[in-house]
Amino acid sequence: MILEVLEFFFLILTAVMIAYLFRHYIFTISVLRSLKKSHFKRQVSSFQPTVSILIPASNEEKVIGRLLKRITNFTYPKEKLQVIVIDDASNDRTGEIADDFKNKYPFVEVVHRSVNVGRKGKASAMNHGFESVKNDVVLCFDADYYPQNDIVENLIQVFDDPKVGAVQGRVVVLNEPQNLVTRIVALERTGGYRVDQEARSMLNLITQFGGTVGGFRRSVLIDLGGWNESILAEDTDLTFRVYLAGYKIRYCVNAECYEEAVDNWNSYWHQRYRWAKGHMQCFFKHSVPVMKSKKLSAKEKLDGIMLLGVYFMPILVLLSIFVGVPLIFQDLLVVEIGWIAIPISLYCFVGNFAPFFEVGAGLYLDGRTRTQWLIPLLLFTFLFNIPICVKAFFSVVYCKFLRKNRHVWVKTTHSGSGNCYIDNPSLRVVDKK
Amino acid sequence: MKTLNHIGTVLLVEAIVLCVIASFRLINPLSAAIQSLATLLVFNIIFLTLFFQLDGKLNFKLLLIVFGNFIGLCWTFIFHGLSVAGATFFGSAFNHLSLIFFPFLSSLWIVSFWSLSITVLRRSNFYEEYPV
Repeated sequence: MILEVLEFFFLILTAVMIAYLFRHYIFTISVLRSLKKSHFKRQVSSFQPTVSILIPASNEEKVIGRLLKRITNFTYPKEKLQVIVIDDASNDRTGEIADDFKNKYPFVEVVHRSVNVGRKGKASAMNHGFESVKNDVVLCFDADYYPQNDIVENLIQVFDDPKVGAVQGRVVVLNEPQNLVTRIVALERTGGYRVDQEARSMLNLITQFGGTVGGFRRSVLIDLGGWNESILAEDTDLTFRVYLAGYKIRYCVNAECYEEAVDNWNSYWHQRYRWAKGHMQCFFKHSVPVMKSKKLSAKEKLDGIMLLGVYFMPILVLLSIFVGVPLIFQDLLVVEIGWIAIPISLYCFVGNFAPFFEVGAGLYLDGRTRTQWLIPLLLFTFLFNIPICVKAFFSVVYCKFLRKNRHVWVKTTHSGSGNCYIDNPSLRVVDKK
Repeated sequence: MKTLNHIGTVLLVEAIVLCVIASFRLINPLSAAIQSLATLLVFNIIFLTLFFQLDGKLNFKLLLIVFGNFIGLCWTFIFHGLSVAGATFFGSAFNHLSLIFFPFLSSLWIVSFWSLSITVLRRSNFYEEYPV
């Protein structure tokens, strides 16, 4: 009896893994097939709404200057632009640098938050900054990001369609050559943004708002009540709230922005732990509303549930190993065949469950030639993510059952290591435009 | 030239099919044979369907896949040869261990082969779209 239950449980776990792998296989095929239809051709549009850019910054003195300098070079008409820097109780020169730009450029504004009000996470800072927004479209950039000069034009064109409530642009790692961690993060970003997001947008599934390099209609954000301060993955939460409100999110692959990726395993752990925990919070909050929603199609519901459950996958893979090993010793043929799905699942990125072939396809589409050689290292990244997701799961369950809100925002520190890649064009391995 | 290309295509497809059949027929016991067949089938499904979306000549892509199948077949023979030898010395539990580890070790060559072959099939028109 126990054996039959275990076998059934193993088959369920294997079926979930195969479903995820098949989903990403469809994504990869779809994006590769769309190669012939030129996705990169810039659509010329006369649509030029007024745009506000929110930049939350807490102790970002090493990077905030380069972003603000870049924004002053934007090709979008400055009279239609409002830039709001939210100095979130910084105790370095962040506020001072932002004030310098404010004094030089009339479209730059700075909101200073005191220690009593600030440091409550990104969502809290964004809501504070949103109170000063005057324009039709709200875009968000993290302080460590470095956008293309024409990114505003690329992002806002999707708002031509009244059904679109939000937009997401592409994130590319700026400091990729720095070390192994940044190279692995770059692989993950390539799989996620070059294939995954594009496929979801193309197939009319749930395109994810990534919290930065994207934006919303101001009216939609007002209807939704802004950012949710009690959830660590405020971006995923907003994604589902946008879809549940009946709007769509579109992805612009040609709106590229460069980020300074975490450059050590400790920062990687803290960042991924926050993402995993936040994502799991969103799963418990949105999975039932997504299933019940009448505004979502069947394929959007299925994709939404899979997207919400993505951080549970390392736990499921671990469970399937524990359950499968004793079953193989019982000579169960179905288990021996299902066992093949496990190693393939180990070569996936956790944040989006992008398998090795999807990452390879993304790199191929980007014209990369040698970065592919790092794909076998996905195995170690997945193994590293298993304890992160297990810890996040127990933390979420603990908080849920004891009704405690112990979610502490651990901010990712930025060392400014990406600055040298901006100044030295020969080191810029990705930006070929 | 065209006829030669067609003949080449047929021969390469035949080679792939033969490798897949050999991975099942020449391996014992049945559970190991099914695992090796399934592994090679997964490899071929992923590679055949994805490679045809990429740039490059058909026969070159097929040649790469034949090469991958050949590596897979050799690997399967070596692994199961070792597992039979191991089972002789350490008992039948060794067979179960080999069933557990075979897919994990096979994924090493499949993923490595993917990462290398996608380098060979670089996108031909990329630098026309994005002049450096």
